[in-house]
Parts: sequence; C-alpha cells; structure tokens
Amino acid sequence: MSDQLFKNGAELINTNVSRRAFMAGSVGTVLAFVLESSMPGSVANAAGAGTKISGYLTINPDNTVTVAFGGAEMGQGIMTGLAQCVAEELMVDWSQVKTESAPWAQSYITGGSFGVRANFVAMRTAGAQAREMLISAAATSMGVPASSCTASAGVITNTLNSQTRTFTSVAADAALLTPPASPALTPKANWRIIGTRANRTDIRGKVDGSAIFGLDVQVPGMVYAAVRHSPAIGGTLAATPKLPAGATHVINLGNAVAVVASHSWIPLDYCAIGISSTSSTWRDGIKWTAPAGAAAMTTAAILSTGNTLMASGTPGSPLAENIGTAAANYTAAPKKFEGTYQVPFLPHVMMEVPNCTVSLSTNSAEVWAPTQAAGWVASTVAALTGIPTANVTVHITLLGAGLGRKIEQDFIAEAVKVAKIVGKPVKLFWPREEDLSQDQYRPFGLIRVRLGMDASGTPTAFQARNVSVSPLFQRGWIGATGNDNVDGLVDSPYNIPNKLVEFVRHPSTIPVGFWRSVGESMNCFALESAIDEAALIAGQDPVAFRRTLLAGKTRELGVLNAAATMIGWDAGAPAGHAYGIALASGFGSLACLALEVSQPAAGSLTIHRACMAVDPGMAVNPTQVEAQMQGGIIQGLTSALWGKTTFANGKASSKNFNNVRLLKMSESPAIQVQIIESGIQYLGGIGEVGVPPVAPALANAYARLNGTRVRTLPFF
Amino acid sequence: MTVMTINVNGVARTVDVDPATPLLWVLRDVLGLTGTKYGCGIEICNACNVWIDGSAEKACHLLMKDVLTVKIVTVEGLATNGVLSKIQQAFIDEQTPQCGFCQSGVLMRAAKLVNGNAKPTDAQIDAAMANICACGTYPRIRAAIKRATGQAPVV
Ligand code: FES
Ligand code: FES
Repeated sequence: MSDQLFKNGAELINTNVSRRAFMAGSVGTVLAFVLESSMPGSVANAAGAGTKISGYLTINPDNTVTVAFGGAEMGQGIMTGLAQCVAEELMVDWSQVKTESAPWAQSYITGGSFGVRANFVAMRTAGAQAREMLISAAATSMGVPASSCTASAGVITNTLNSQTRTFTSVAADAALLTPPASPALTPKANWRIIGTRANRTDIRGKVDGSAIFGLDVQVPGMVYAAVRHSPAIGGTLAATPKLPAGATHVINLGNAVAVVASHSWIPLDYCAIGISSTSSTWRDGIKWTAPAGAAAMTTAAILSTGNTLMASGTPGSPLAENIGTAAANYTAAPKKFEGTYQVPFLPHVMMEVPNCTVSLSTNSAEVWAPTQAAGWVASTVAALTGIPTANVTVHITLLGAGLGRKIEQDFIAEAVKVAKIVGKPVKLFWPREEDLSQDQYRPFGLIRVRLGMDASGTPTAFQARNVSVSPLFQRGWIGATGNDNVDGLVDSPYNIPNKLVEFVRHPSTIPVGFWRSVGESMNCFALESAIDEAALIAGQDPVAFRRTLLAGKTRELGVLNAAATMIGWDAGAPAGHAYGIALASGFGSLACLALEVSQPAAGSLTIHRACMAVDPGMAVNPTQVEAQMQGGIIQGLTSALWGKTTFANGKASSKNFNNVRLLKMSESPAIQVQIIESGIQYLGGIGEVGVPPVAPALANAYARLNGTRVRTLPFF
Repeated sequence: MTVMTINVNGVARTVDVDPATPLLWVLRDVLGLTGTKYGCGIEICNACNVWIDGSAEKACHLLMKDVLTVKIVTVEGLATNGVLSKIQQAFIDEQTPQCGFCQSGVLMRAAKLVNGNAKPTDAQIDAAMANICACGTYPRIRAAIKRATGQAPVV
C-alpha cells in the first residue's frame, strides 16, 4: 500500500479562502484547504474514491493558529499529529498551535490507521503553501522581495532592514493570494516539530472536565432519549408501550423503543434497568417478535456451520493468496503441523456509549456526533429527512474511543428518526447494556493453518483457511472473497516458497463490523501461534525459527530482535515464568511483542512484563506511538483473556461491565516500548498494529509455561 | 419534582427534580457539569466518580435526596481559579489521557490518593485506582501519580 500513500496533493481553494477570510474577519483570518485524500482500503473505497478532506487554518488575532480537520479524535492523537505536520511548515512554534474539528459535512473516514500517514505530505504542503502566501503578503507590505523574508514563530522578518510582520497582520492580504503550486517543503534534518514529543492539543480539556464528547453536547431546547432494542438482534416490538411516568414520548422504532424526557435519567432507567435483559416480554405485556432465523443466531450452531465450512466449504474465488504448490507440498512434507484456531464475536467496548444529537429545521439539519464518518452521517440525515446533504452540518465531537464502532450509522439514524417525531433537538444515547448487546461485533472465525516442513524443519508450505463472517459482505460491499478477513494471513513476511490462503464466508447474520485491527485481530493469533507450534515440531527455538524464516527482511528482524533483547529471551525466563513472542505486520507498520507470564494458581494467569518493539517507519510523535502500543497491549490482553459475546437465539451474552471484564490497573503488566525508525519511506499507522500480536504472544507464553496450547479465544 | 439545593464545587445550586434521580444526571443534564461521565450506570467503571465530603463516590448511584447535606466536588472543581491541581498538571505532563472519557473519574480517585498519601506505593496505587480505562492508559496514570508525588518515573 505504501506506494499509494504519497499521491496526495493539497490545493488551497482560492475562492473559498477569500470568501471565508471576509466572513471570519472578526475572529481571525481563515485559510481553507481541501485535500484529495487517497486513503486505500475497503472502508475508504466504500465511501467513494477521491474522498475530500476539508480543513482550514485560522490565523487568530493573538498570532496563534488554529488547525481544523474533519477527522475523528478518539484518543489516538490524530489532531496533534496532523497539526504537527502543518505547524512544521507554517513556521510557528508548537505553543502557538490549537486544533479543532472542522464542522463540515464532507469530511473523511477515520479508520485503517490512515489518519496521519495518508495525509503526511498533504498536511505539510498545506502548511508550506500558507507560509509562502503569508511571506508574500508581508514582503509586499514591507516593500521588499519575498526572497529576503523568513518566517519564525509566526513572525516574518526581512533580512534587508530587519522589519517584521506578524502572521496576524498580513493574514487578510495573504488569503487573497493564489496558493503556490509546489511550495518548498522543509527537509527532515531541519524539522522542529515533526518527530518530537509535542504535547497533545486535546489533553487540557480532558483533565479539567471541559472536553466535549458527543454525550456532553447540550443545545438549547434539547431533550434526551434512550433506546432499548429487541433482545434478539433484529426483532421487533409488537406494539408501542404506555408512556412512562415523567417521559414526554415513547416511540416504537420497529426494532427498538425510544423514550424521551427532559433529562437522561428517566429514559435510561426505563431502557436499561428493571426488566430482565433477555426477556421476550417488554413492558405492559408487549412482546418482542423474534427475527427470522433467530435459531441460527446461536453460538453452537454458528460453530457447527463453521466446522462444516472448514471441512468442506468452497473458498471464495479468486483465492486470497496462491503462490507455488502449497497443497501438494504440504501433503508430501516429511514434517508437518496443522492446527485450527477459533476466535469469538467480540464487542468493541468504547467508554463512551453510542450517541448522537440532532436538530432539524425545515430544510436544514445540524448534527453533533462522536463519529468516525461524518460524511456518512450527512447521508444518513439526508436519506431519512430529504434534506440535501449540503444543508446538513455535522459537528464531530471528541470520541470517547471509536475502535471502528463509531463508523456505523445505526445510532445516528435512530437519533434522526426520534428528532423528526419529537420536533425538538434530541440527544439520543444507548445505555451500556445496549452498546454491548447490540454491537457490530468483531467477526467470529475459524482459522486452520498448515505448515509443511522439510526434514530439517524448515517450512516449505504454508496453507491457511479462514472461515469467518464478513463485515464487507454484510454491507454488500464485496462478493465472496475475504478481503479484510484475510488480512494478516496474506502477504505474511515469512519466506515460505509455497503459500495458499483461502477464505470461506460464514453466512451468520450476527452483525459484524470493523474492530481495531480488523482481520489482523484474528489471523495474527492463528499465524503466530502456528509458527510457535511448528517450531516445537521442528525442535527449534521460536525466535531462532522466525529469524530463519525472515532472512533478509531487515525491518521484521529489527523488531523481532529488539523485542527478544528487551525481554531477555536468550537468558531465559525466571523460574516459574515463561516468555512468549509474536510478530505483527500491518497498517504499514511492524510490531513484535514479547510477554512474561506466570500461573500462580490453576485458572489464573499473571502477565508480568510486556516488551513491544514497533517500527512505524518514522514516529511523527514518539509519545503517541508509545501510548498506542501501551493501549493496544492492554486492550489486546483484555480481549485475549476474557473478550467474547455468545448468542442464544439472537440474544447477546454481553450486557455491562458486570459480565464484560476489562483489565484493570492492578492486572496490567509493566510495559516497555522501543520505537525503531527504519525510514520515512515506510511511514505506517500506529493505532492498530499494537493489538494483533498480543493474543498469540500470550498463547505462546502460556504454552511454554505449562505445555498447554490455547487455540480458542478467549483464555477464560 | 422537588426543589432542592446541593453544594457543588463550593457553590449552592438549586434544582427541581425527582429526589430519586441519581446525582450523575443532575450534574450533567441539569447543571451542565458534563465532566462527570456515564460509563456503566451499575457502579463498576468509576467514570462517574465525584467527591462526597472528600471521599470518591459513584455519582451514578447516589440519589439526589441523599446528597443534600454534603459537599460535592466534581472534576470541574479540581482546579482553583483556572490553576490546575498538581495531579491534573501531572496528567498533562505524562500525556495520560487517550480518548479521555474515563479520565474525570480517574482524576477524582488519583487526586484523592495523592492528597492523602505523600508517596503512594505501586500496591497502594493499584488498590486505589479501581477505574476501568478501555484505552489502557494505566501506565501513564501510574506515572502521573508518581510524578505528582515526587517519585521517580516508572517504565
Ligand atoms: S457510571 Fe458509575 S460506576 Fe460506571
Ligand atoms: S482514556 Fe479512553 S477510556 Fe480511559
């Protein structure tokens, strides 16, 4: 994918610039830009090619600058990373930079770890264009050639007579100029901000309580709504229940009931509490009607179908990967390994539940949402109201995590429907019980891996079959091939001459979606567990075995060796402890994790240390790379240890934090992160790659600890 | 509905709500103090922590009628005249929050811990910090608590 990452171009739209400059004159001068984004990957493609990224720079009266983008800040530091790129070229100090979300409908999809890397050149170019326009305006004002002017800390100085102009004083004139087509970009050696541990711009509000997440939005005249869905996913409510005391509306949305009141408590109390969560009878004796095919939405039946498809299903065509003669080679191999791994449906578990605030007028709409896909939000509103998308303003609030869940439109659509009926601005939110029982889950999957080895134990054939539910297929975006579902199996870095990867689509109708690291989250578990299992058969050390398979792969060897060194692999684990290791490659980055575990008692597991080596090519902000690795490890451990949702006739097991367990501080390991920068040409994403190696590293450590191989997640 | 007065961040606030309403929703929806968060509503995640007479409590299950005579402090009350408390500044210095949604509750507990314990040990930190942070900011929470109490940074 890396070849696609640098095709972005930035253009300053002159008409926009001047119009907005005048419009916004009292609060500062706005320089708008629109970027042609090339965000590869299925999510972007589904959104339509050539997705535009809107953004703007505001030069404020106090000579600070505000950088605004239509992206989603969900904790990954994207606003900061992108603003670092702009500020570098704009020649301002980091202390002069603020960020905000652009309240524009046509923003971009935040996903696939593309936030910074897909816009790296474009953002710098935008900053450089603005700088040259500001310099040009200042030069005119001082009556000197632009070539004699330099910019630093938001001040332009001409070297002829040392006169100066602040950005603020020349911004209005600069906004009228034609943006230069190819402004000079600052060489890496001179960077002041990119690559530094610049403090995040969104943190102050997150420690003083002023940060506004979607759930915190308040608009005049607003009412509050909560929803309760059919406990069997997709079921319907036979009739509308009575109006609860204190509520203003009770609305039958078909597959859900919404309750509206002047504050959150009455709707929440009605929807979340008081009625057995899986009961088929709702209030007032009204029943939920089970969806068609509910019986098939049962974990045992889904597993059984999966096993049948594993044994005799027809793989999607074309095959996901087919190099050489893997099947024949495996059959003939003198040493071989075969193992089938199982991963469950997995809820996202964002701390902020789904929510959306909608205000509708006759022919316009305003939406405030914690969304990863503001453009889709505008389309959702348009489809439900007939209001043209051009008249829909979407304010992207801070996201109390997104993890792929907040790309979805289900909660947005419900808010729009309720706002239409209520005729007032409405904030609709899901009780935690609804979030966990009505998710669009990480797919259930079975992954069989076969490795054929020669007499000396060197793998010569790799065969994998992934049977799983496809988010892309459920959305009608692709045919029978795997696409995202085989990420992490195809293009594996291991030098094995014969490779065959097949995808067999599981037809389950349990709704599935995009979960942090998507296909990698299941396939890395299978592949990296299988590599350790094959090493055992080959009689080799797992690290040495991987080194052989990665001969010549400098970056992969770099992270592997760094993680092994950090944990002290060669010296061996302390008595009663064991080490396990796993490598992930994806999202343009590489991550290798080594864990140290022990088992103080049967049924328990202590994770003592986690040592992560990550190579994102270049770290735009090392602090944020570390934070994403720390968070990825902790989320990965939570998922591997306890993460799952099971189903009985369409009813989800996961409800709230009393039956969905998350790792706590006291259970978290000491984490060490080493960043390896192998080159700017490899710039990769960092939001997701920290998650996939966790489950296999844990399973590998566990097997080395007590000889028990865990092939089915979660552990407990 | 009943007119009641509560003391929030040192200010008397009068509200007209059902006395059985949990404090969390009065703070958020009636008083506009949205720093205090809803995470689970069942007393597990600690996102809704506030101080009640100096002790960290869960606002999702404290009813209005039971908080009429106490002093309530929310995350908005941790700073003094816009000057951040030591623990808040340490959270910035350690760049602790990720998504940030759990952090108000985390801060209420962390502030309580550092106010009452000059040098909390790792075990004391583990015991005090019962919050759920799905983003996994635990290492940086620990580092911030150590920084705020003048202890050596941790890995
Ligand atoms: S919201 Fe109160 S403990 Fe979770
Ligand atoms: S920072 Fe996101 S849940 Fe804690």
